[in-house]
Amino acid sequence: MFCFQCEQTSRDGATAGCAGAKGVCGKDEVTADLQDLLIYELKGIGQYTHRLHKLGKPDADADRFSLYALFTTLTNVNFNRARFTDMIAEAATIRDRVAKAYEVEAAAAGKIPAMLGAAAHYQPAGDLSGLLAQAPVASVRAGVEKVGEDVIGLRSLILYGLKGVAAYAHHAEVLGEEREEIYAGVAKALDFLASDSTDIEALLGEALELGKLNYTVMETLDAANTGNFGTPTPTAVRTTPVAGKCILVSGHDFGDLRAILEATKDQGINVYTHGEVLPAHAYPKLHAYPHLVGNYGGAWQNQQIEFAAFPGPIVMTSNCLIEPQPSYRNRIFTMGPVGWPGLKHLTHNDLGILVQAAKATPGFATTAPEKQILIGFARDTVLGVAGTVVEAVKSGAVKHFFLIGGCDGAAPGRNYYTDFADNAPQDTVVLTLGCGKYRFNTHDFGTIGGLPRLLDVGQCNDTYSAIQIALALANAFNCGVNELPLTLVISWFEQKAAAVLLTLLALGVRNIRLGPSLPAFLTPNLINVLVEKFGIQPVTDAKADIQAALTRAA
Amino acid sequence: MDVTIVTRDGARLGVPCAEGQNVLAAAEEAGLYLPSMCREGSCGMCAAHVTEGAYEMGACAEGALPKGEGGVLLCRCLALSDLVVEVPVRDEQIGRHRVPERRAVIAGLVPAGAGALAVTLQLEADETYGAAADFVPGQFFEMTLPGADVRRAYSLANLPNWDGRLEFIIRLVPGGRFSGWLAAEARVGQMLELRGPMGHFALDEASPRPRVLVAGGCGVAPILSLLRQMAEYGDATPVHLIYGANREAEFLPPHVLAEMKAALPQLDVTYAVWHPEAGWNGFVGTAAEALSVVLASGAAVPDIYVCGPPRMLEAVEGAALAAGVPAAQFFAERVQS
Repeated sequence: MFCFQCEQTSRDGATAGCAGAKGVCGKDEVTADLQDLLIYELKGIGQYTHRLHKLGKPDADADRFSLYALFTTLTNVNFNRARFTDMIAEAATIRDRVAKAYEVEAAAAGKIPAMLGAAAHYQPAGDLSGLLAQAPVASVRAGVEKVGEDVIGLRSLILYGLKGVAAYAHHAEVLGEEREEIYAGVAKALDFLASDSTDIEALLGEALELGKLNYTVMETLDAANTGNFGTPTPTAVRTTPVAGKCILVSGHDFGDLRAILEATKDQGINVYTHGEVLPAHAYPKLHAYPHLVGNYGGAWQNQQIEFAAFPGPIVMTSNCLIEPQPSYRNRIFTMGPVGWPGLKHLTHNDLGILVQAAKATPGFATTAPEKQILIGFARDTVLGVAGTVVEAVKSGAVKHFFLIGGCDGAAPGRNYYTDFADNAPQDTVVLTLGCGKYRFNTHDFGTIGGLPRLLDVGQCNDTYSAIQIALALANAFNCGVNELPLTLVISWFEQKAAAVLLTLLALGVRNIRLGPSLPAFLTPNLINVLVEKFGIQPVTDAKADIQAALTRAA
Repeated sequence: MDVTIVTRDGARLGVPCAEGQNVLAAAEEAGLYLPSMCREGSCGMCAAHVTEGAYEMGACAEGALPKGEGGVLLCRCLALSDLVVEVPVRDEQIGRHRVPERRAVIAGLVPAGAGALAVTLQLEADETYGAAADFVPGQFFEMTLPGADVRRAYSLANLPNWDGRLEFIIRLVPGGRFSGWLAAEARVGQMLELRGPMGHFALDEASPRPRVLVAGGCGVAPILSLLRQMAEYGDATPVHLIYGANREAEFLPPHVLAEMKAALPQLDVTYAVWHPEAGWNGFVGTAAEALSVVLASGAAVPDIYVCGPPRMLEAVEGAALAAGVPAAQFFAERVQS
């Protein structure tokens, strides 16, 4: 096993990364090795599907499988090695199909089929021990002694960014939004990875290409969410329990939430959002379900305590799942790409058992005094009051905007983001998105110029919404985004954050503060490139960083 | 050494801690389940502060260590003296396997091979625990003989379920207080008091090794639960069941394992009869002897799960150790008699 894809990866050894029997996230070495092999196969599939896209003959099922399979390998998504053994077999079948199709379509187009690299021809072993013996070829560090750490680091940046792209694209796909441009882009990136490029400039270029693709993907997911559920509006969300039977929905997938709300309609069961499902309350068509009663708990890393205390079944629709404690193991279910050995996996068609579980568990005995938080400040809402915002900046009432966004995590260093939000001067506005906001979204930030000082834009993928807000402001002030009195303070944890970061870089956004630590896969040389080309800065001390941001703006 | 865990809301929980044992493991041994994740000093989930006493911190990621004097990660913190440790959770948030006390109605009493009964109980709904049968395959419940201070523990044979159904296979011990009552007096519809679930006999799901499950007599109950768990979750790990009995008539009716094989295609079964009657074509000998044969023929050293009476466990363990199976790969549950 070797994995260094997330922020919390082990940094104890000479090479930062999880390389023991188990990663920090709880992923064991068998699962990690199987995930590497699956990705190796996806590169092989990408070699063919990229060419099929160019020939105008895409294979939609292969494209969808690639998104889903990449998503399963994100941090804290799927830990079930049985599932990976199955997917490795499925991937081989799909690869054989697209290989055949490519041969036929190339001939039909009068072209000689290209000679493709090793991944295209990989034959998975028939049993687990055979697969594990094959795993070294698929390791992210394969060939490091020949190509060096910088190349491995850039390939990893592309792979991890691609995983983030795939996760967002899958969320959009299951809501019915698919675009040829996205599938072609993912296939192209897989094909590029399969080429084992050692050209630093080409690798950097591909990373930024992927950032651009992710912009399209986030736009597509925004369209999927707003198309299905309406435009988010400012909404007060209850954060305390209501007496009665209950289900908790965690992860990110609004389609799964809708299916659960439908299945539990008129059943006397209350549904609560957890973590990144919180923004659901702001979408009119989800808010309309009277039994979507509130938000429970905080960010993902507190789940072992919060899930144990929740008196009903829990559903994980995407990351971040961590090892279920014995006390709630039988009542936590997985959906979509998520998995853990011994947890029941649900589809939209078999939610009966979830209803049964909700009825068989105690539920909340009493209703707690009501507490609320305000959410739903996505682009339409903020841009709807753009005039007020612009005026507030011109009059000097608002001096600066901070976008404090991204993931939360367990490491103590993440207090930085709380400190940052709490110490941002009263004449500044704090925009937030992702689950990092749980550290401060119950604090009282007050109002400024008739607007709340804390504006919750939504999920991490609503970076798209935040970018629209920034672009509109830049337009109003007739300047570039980098000239706006705006500082991005990003907390990253998993690979969707890598995709978002690439998007921001591809859009030319500079001077991003990134923390709590920089990615372990970025070598000092690569970090220098990011600093020189994009002005990326590691976080230091919250007060000092606020001062630096305000000074730079002034 | 004694460790006092002080919760955020001021509860003080005493935990004995052995030399060389980390505080997280010591707390778990005492039934206190604190938040934790990587258990290798990297994730920061088990951060705490030692306010009194001497300790040694093992290797850990610098960024994961909480700030301030006495900042530790419990998974890496070894006590060198009595300790007082402040944890950032409230008392109620610490997981405890406080054993639930439940009531259940006898829903079925059916013969299960010679000298055994298949007993089905239906749990009563309960304000604290709800109506579900919530346990880990391999665990047991303790039943109280109605009107007497006699308790017996029996392993579950079924899977956790939302219907509140508990299934046991119970040997009718000649002269046994509880099983004697079951055979002579128990009736469908009677109420029983229970404590459970309890026990740590469970599959090591993360292990990549093949499994050999060894059942002696009614020890087949939790073994069936483990097999059903594998079938339920499509676990394709190679698995071999050795099912031993004194006489052929003691085996469960054949359809039980036939259904199991249909649900778990990779399952191999060896029936071992110690005292066969004429016409028995299967393995002759004890389950331990059958295990020696299976281990001698297999390539990989498997994980071994065994449930049966004490003498059978000893013999099976001896056979496993003799074949080079490491102790860490040996999981045993004793059938009470």
